[in-house]
Amino acid sequence: MRRIRKKHFLFATYDDFEKAKDVVGQLNALDEKEDIIDNIELYSPIEHPEVNAMLGEFHQPIQRFSFFGGITGTVLGFLFAAAVGQSMFTVQPQGGKSVITIPPDIVIAYEMTILLGVLSTIAAFLIYSGLPRRVKSYYDHSVGVDQIGVEVETHPDNNEKIRATLEGCGAVEVRELTS
Amino acid sequence: MSDFKMKDIAWAKINEDVLASLESPRKAFWIVLAVCFALVLCGAAAEVYQYNEGLGVALMNNPHYWQTYISNFVFWIGMSHSGTLLSAILLLTQADWRKPIYRFAEAMTFFSIATAAIFPVIHIGRVWDMYWVLPYPNQHAIWPNFRSPLLWDAFAITTYATSSALFLYIGMIPDLAICRDKAKGWRKKLYTAMSLGWMGRATEWIAFQKTYVLMACFLVPLAVSVHSIVASDFAMSMMPGWHVTSFPPYFVAGALYSGCAAIITLFVLLRYLFKFEAYMTPEIMDKTARLTFAIAMAWNFLNLSEYASIWYSHDMFEHEMLIDKFTGPYAGIVWTMLFCATIVPFAMAWKKVRVNMWAMFVISLLIQLGMWLERFQIVSPPLASNHEPWTQAVVWPGLVQMTITAASFGWFTMLFLIFCKVFPSVSMYEVKEMVYHRNKHGKKKLQDMEKIKDDMIKTEEGLS
Repeated sequence: MRRIRKKHFLFATYDDFEKAKDVVGQLNALDEKEDIIDNIELYSPIEHPEVNAMLGEFHQPIQRFSFFGGITGTVLGFLFAAAVGQSMFTVQPQGGKSVITIPPDIVIAYEMTILLGVLSTIAAFLIYSGLPRRVKSYYDHSVGVDQIGVEVETHPDNNEKIRATLEGCGAVEVRELTS
Repeated sequence: MSDFKMKDIAWAKINEDVLASLESPRKAFWIVLAVCFALVLCGAAAEVYQYNEGLGVALMNNPHYWQTYISNFVFWIGMSHSGTLLSAILLLTQADWRKPIYRFAEAMTFFSIATAAIFPVIHIGRVWDMYWVLPYPNQHAIWPNFRSPLLWDAFAITTYATSSALFLYIGMIPDLAICRDKAKGWRKKLYTAMSLGWMGRATEWIAFQKTYVLMACFLVPLAVSVHSIVASDFAMSMMPGWHVTSFPPYFVAGALYSGCAAIITLFVLLRYLFKFEAYMTPEIMDKTARLTFAIAMAWNFLNLSEYASIWYSHDMFEHEMLIDKFTGPYAGIVWTMLFCATIVPFAMAWKKVRVNMWAMFVISLLIQLGMWLERFQIVSPPLASNHEPWTQAVVWPGLVQMTITAASFGWFTMLFLIFCKVFPSVSMYEVKEMVYHRNKHGKKKLQDMEKIKDDMIKTEEGLS
């Protein structure tokens, strides 16, 4: 039977983005030198692009979903209006007007473009943010208030080195966690 | 706590204040809620009476087949515009003063649409045939006209209601997570489900910001299109007084105008009821009032151009209609509208007025009265003097229509206040962002000034 390896983390909280920035920088340098960190995760009450950039590149092409969702909406809008308009054209008197009328259908297609664009943007948000998910058992409520949390996934043997780095940058608290 | 976060409000204090608003509003909150509930009950009774007796009791008869219910529909759709539209535009232009007020403005949008959506149902009388207004495929032989603006309304309003609700909800997720962490009982369950397990991870924030901006990009043109389509309900008819080319932009400007006035009313109300004095500051009111004033001027311009284009069109019917509006039986409505929506906003030219909460409250109510009358004078007077003289008649809305109209205000306010009691009406994370960036930039500015000062001293020393 295959055994699932338990993940080991060190979780530190900071009261300042500058300190969080320092510690992420130092952890990156340490990992580059000794390759002892599996993953770094940042938790914060607001977004901080500078610190996030230090965590590496996040590939989240949400705008592609918006674009293709919008295009799909346009096509579906036209198809829907055309299908509905044409469905009974043999019995519905058209009074000389064309069966498929482009100008009014543009309005319907426009609204459908936006509706599907918005819905696919939301779908992309859920995919790339990893939501919905269960809140981690060790989630620290203070990161929703005024603290910045830095979670480092590593092997228990490297605890001391990482703890020293975390504490060296002025951590308010450092906790060891296993999940 | 390090000094970068706060000069005025600490981050923890922001959470405390906003979460307290969910627990203990002023007593006046319950009084306002009770009054609104009573209005809703009166409206429900009037609707039941109308349902049993027929639309005749509402004095709706040929030629007044469109009257107060449609005025209300247009008014509430208009009201819904400012919230999402202004929130989206101010987000895209990175105006940080929107942050303490955008949440309730977006909520206002959603509840305005919820109120507007009731009126077509009340208006058609036969409520069981309500689905006839929806884009029902022709195979079922209902024959909705897909070339009619009335059917476009169904598409536009459904899209707008869905998108606005999602925009409001997505923007609330980080705050719902904060509520989840503090709440107990049923609230804990509600916030846990709605916050989707948000933990403030970097991946979540990056996806969130991208999504929020993209949604704002969709919502700006959507809001403009929705009210243009509502304007087309009138503009695409052949009725004198309705068949006006400039109606779509005029309606959009009017929607923004009445919506801004509603934001001011709710700003003052929430500030008082939920003790948000530290967040809804006179400075923010000043900016909102300036924006309202600018939109008022745009609306006035479009109003005047509508009159001018009718006057110079040499269309006999349109001409007569315009003269009748200003001198006929509905003249009182038109002149009151012009006073409330054209003259009153000039008071906002003075800063003293703009930062005075109660003065702004009164002004915003007068503007909304003016804008409601504007919708009424668009809908009703043209029907009273239409193309067919033998059907011309002046009819005023009866007690049933006015009761249901008053109830709509009660319904909207009741839903809005319940929302503010259950969900944070001030965005905690955005206010934190605002405070953080202001302090950071303030600090940088101070450092730059000190550097310039040092350089000047050095230069002076060098010269001497």
